[in-house]
Amino acid sequence: MPDEMTFLMGKYPAVLPGDFRYARNHMCCREVEGRWRFNFTSYAVRLMQDVYFLDWAVSAGDAVQLLQQIGHIETSKAVSDLFAPLAGTVTTFNAELLNDPSAINVDNYGAGWLFDLDGAGGSLMSVAEYHQYLDENWEKTQRLIKGKINTED
Amino acid sequence: MSRQRLTVVLSQAQGKNPTKRALEEAVAAALIMEPGLDVSVVPYLYDLGPDHTGRLFLESVQGDMVVLGWMYPRAAFWVLDRDGIKGHFVESQLKPPSADDEDEDEESQPEPPNGIGAVDVPDRSIYCLDLRDFNSHETYVQEVRRIADECRQRREAKLKEWIQGNPTVVQLGRYLRADEPQPVPEPSRFTSEQLLQQPQRRWYPVIDYSRCTNCMECIDFCLFGVYGVDKLDRINVENQDNCKRGCPACSRVCPEHAIIFPDYKTPAIAGAAVGAVTGLKIDLTKLFGCADAIQIAAQERDRELVNDGREAVGLTVGIPKRQADKPKEPKDDLDKLMDALDALDI
Repeated sequence: MPDEMTFLMGKYPAVLPGDFRYARNHMCCREVEGRWRFNFTSYAVRLMQDVYFLDWAVSAGDAVQLLQQIGHIETSKAVSDLFAPLAGTVTTFNAELLNDPSAINVDNYGAGWLFDLDGAGGSLMSVAEYHQYLDENWEKTQRLIKGKINTED
Repeated sequence: MSRQRLTVVLSQAQGKNPTKRALEEAVAAALIMEPGLDVSVVPYLYDLGPDHTGRLFLESVQGDMVVLGWMYPRAAFWVLDRDGIKGHFVESQLKPPSADDEDEDEESQPEPPNGIGAVDVPDRSIYCLDLRDFNSHETYVQEVRRIADECRQRREAKLKEWIQGNPTVVQLGRYLRADEPQPVPEPSRFTSEQLLQQPQRRWYPVIDYSRCTNCMECIDFCLFGVYGVDKLDRINVENQDNCKRGCPACSRVCPEHAIIFPDYKTPAIAGAAVGAVTGLKIDLTKLFGCADAIQIAAQERDRELVNDGREAVGLTVGIPKRQADKPKEPKDDLDKLMDALDALDI
């Protein structure tokens, strides 16, 4: 199993466990009972901060396309649509989060899991690849966040 | 209703959220006591169908108007325009508690849009305030007072201009008419029960004509016959109810961000000022989505097509071929000929 890695977001260290597979939309997953259990990476959680609302636009059992919109999230700092990290079938949503999404902030790699998905989770990035992806895009991401304010292109 | 008074319309939130209701009631209670204002409450603006009393009331209002509602001011204004309740959009001075860096906002003033504009706009002002911006009713009451003052001054200035000569025909009509003819029923004829009858929820696009360039990409893209053109060959939302609930795909393909779905959750689609941060919140959709808008739009459309028992078309139909990235080449003779033809104005 690869080692845990840390990505430095300014001074904030985002911890990236080694035993997860990582998607470009900043969700990651590991195998739980033959399905892929997805959650937000610490990187995503740091950008969003305290989660206020989480809303799913598809139901358990629905087939989803890669990057199909599946929900929406609102946090203290951000709003975003959420997209499927993989093509496949969503089998279960974490019902706890719909009542109280705070587990996403408290324990994003554990109790804060989002949904289980039946699909090719193994094809996603390894921790090293994700770390490199973050590194390559960090400039741009910072610009996007600050510059959201300037231009929308 | 007299043109000399300011009409204040409070558009309720959908549902029965007690916090929202409390704010609505506090604002209404405070404003009813103000002199010179006519205050009315109607249900959620976007849901009002053509036969709803609330809409008939709005149509009967002739003078300046302030609309307080639970949506972006831009959305509220163009919903009204769509319903034939037109006027000039006047920016409220009430700004949502804005992001950390005030000064950065200054330099980032978006360019004024160059849309085709609304047609048949009467000489009156419409102000839209977003009730989601502040929790205290006082803020709204003060702003309405300020607006009432501003409208009074504007009327007086116009009257003075007229007294001192050069009245325009419109002004003449406006001030010489002793008692206004009332082609529409007196608002007092509407009971508050009728006004507040809860409408069904609706879902349809609203076009911001200050941004729309009539490029027709939406009509090409939507395969459900929502869009059409009017007698002036301007794009319009012809069949509102053909629209698929929850689907904002046409808004994503619009190159000018002119299509608003007021109830959609992403601020840019719900009618937030373009490029604006809503309150303190950043839209991370791009970061979390990685797909570009056109792809998402095509997927959303496919989903609705399949739900209707039709074939998914993916990216094969009505996808704009944008050439924004194409480097500008020097004009050749053919370009010059085309320009000359354009300039002929025939």
